[in-house]
Amino acid sequence: MLDDVIKAYNEAVLDTDRTRALQIVSDAVAQGVSPEDIVFKVVIPGLDLMVKALSEGFDTNLAQHFMTSQIAANVTEKMLELFQSPPEIIGHVVIGSAVGDLHTLGKRIVIGCLKAQMIEVIDLGVNVPAERFVSEALAHNAQVIGVSAMMVHTARGENGAIKVRRLLKEQGLEHKIKLVVGGAPFRYDPELYKVVQADAWAENGVSALKVIMDCIQEVKNNDHEHG
Amino acid sequence: MTTSMDRLAAAANGKIIDHIPVFCNLLDQGARELGLSIEDYFSKGEHVAEAQIKMQKKFGHDNVWSLFYVGKEAELFGCKKIRYATDGPPNVEDYIIQNYTDIECLQVPDDLSAHPKFAETAKCLQILKREVGGKVPICAYLTASMSLPAILMGMENWMELLMIGPVEVRDLLLEKCSDFFRKEIEAYRNAGADILVYADPYGSTDIIPMKLFKDLSLKWMKRDLEPGGLNGVVYYVGGARLNSVADEVIREVGIHAYYPGPLDDVTESMRIINDRALCAGVINDIKLLDWTPGQVREEVRRIVQGGLQVNNKFFFGTVVMPYGIPEENIKAMILAAKEFGRTTDG
Repeated sequence: MLDDVIKAYNEAVLDTDRTRALQIVSDAVAQGVSPEDIVFKVVIPGLDLMVKALSEGFDTNLAQHFMTSQIAANVTEKMLELFQSPPEIIGHVVIGSAVGDLHTLGKRIVIGCLKAQMIEVIDLGVNVPAERFVSEALAHNAQVIGVSAMMVHTARGENGAIKVRRLLKEQGLEHKIKLVVGGAPFRYDPELYKVVQADAWAENGVSALKVIMDCIQEVKNNDHEHG
Repeated sequence: MTTSMDRLAAAANGKIIDHIPVFCNLLDQGARELGLSIEDYFSKGEHVAEAQIKMQKKFGHDNVWSLFYVGKEAELFGCKKIRYATDGPPNVEDYIIQNYTDIECLQVPDDLSAHPKFAETAKCLQILKREVGGKVPICAYLTASMSLPAILMGMENWMELLMIGPVEVRDLLLEKCSDFFRKEIEAYRNAGADILVYADPYGSTDIIPMKLFKDLSLKWMKRDLEPGGLNGVVYYVGGARLNSVADEVIREVGIHAYYPGPLDDVTESMRIINDRALCAGVINDIKLLDWTPGQVREEVRRIVQGGLQVNNKFFFGTVVMPYGIPEENIKAMILAAKEFGRTTDG
């Protein structure tokens, strides 16, 4: 039965049909599938499937990324209320739009995907100064700072990701906090993340999930090595 | 002497007089040209016209712009706050649509030509028409009804309304945006614009699924363009890709010129369009920030030869060139487009 739910859910997500996806989940729970199985065996593998498809060049669009993220976040939120015990949080991320940048869509897609993956996200909003990225990351023990920038001057500007890197360096935090960037300019110049001295970048909001999870793991490994 | 307008007319008929038309979208760079801050620069139509003419003479490309910044359209709808940067384009800071009730209240201005926020654009167009009219194509930027909501309510809220919001609210907003577009294109034509860049990133399957493109984008495209006709209209999808929808737009709407995204394969664009319309070969202008002039030349060669190998209904173009591109790269790009755009054998 779970296989049928997985198949039907993934088809609904691909069709950007939130109503159908929510109905499939609701019917499955009514028929005895546990909320834990919905999240860990349906929603998260569904996201992984989308990430894998994107990495293999599967042609998708922004609306599909948005809906994938929103459906996953909606379902997870509903299921978490029904969990027997709270799930383990696998990491913490602070995310925001670079200083001078007021765009929010990419950030919202990333946040939806991360939440479904049991990653706690602190959304700092738009036009976020570099100092705030770092102080909030420290306050929340975040392993990753995500800087979103939709315009060339906010992606490359001295007060954006470049300054976040400088602050991390000055404060000796580079092994504890990774810097991930995303947004249109990075898509048009895949080498740009190196120019702004980020640790990694993601081509779209859904792919950001794997990139950020890898960074969280790297920081955890560093913590382990440093005792 | 051959003018830029002659070049464009020739290209539309599949001919090259001396070289293909070279379109260069220099906007914020005008501020640097006049030694002004970006905010001061965009405060006067005279500044924009003067800088456009100066830059066209200096670099030798084949177009001038009446566009200040994209947020101007939101200002015509009542947006009061624009955020200026020192090194990039101005952006809408307050979205006039904060909730769905605001959509019901949204007023399309009666007469755009008489709108105070259009006054500086009209002044700019008047000067451009007087100085270079009939010789250099004067471009205007008009956002399609499917894409305009992104600057009225933000991309995130528009995507949400489009994908999961109430259909009647979505359609009311699209109808108002389309009514606005019809008035806007008429105002620009009356003020002297020759090339009407119909900007529709939401008319690309990079942004929305094909089904939505067919059900919505095409429908509103037809409604936007129906009263004024297609003369001078260029279909532009911003940085998104065009190839998957180009054939559909040609067959269903019949626009005569297309501006693919920089990530489209230009040879494929030309093959899809297949002599039915004019097509641009567009450079990924973000890379112009870091490339050497030699790298710029090679990339222009690749694009221009890739387009001309199909036919001559072709011109060269940029997206919206970032402020920081070095002048030597702008010069190298234009020079190379002219050099490789002379004959079909490059």
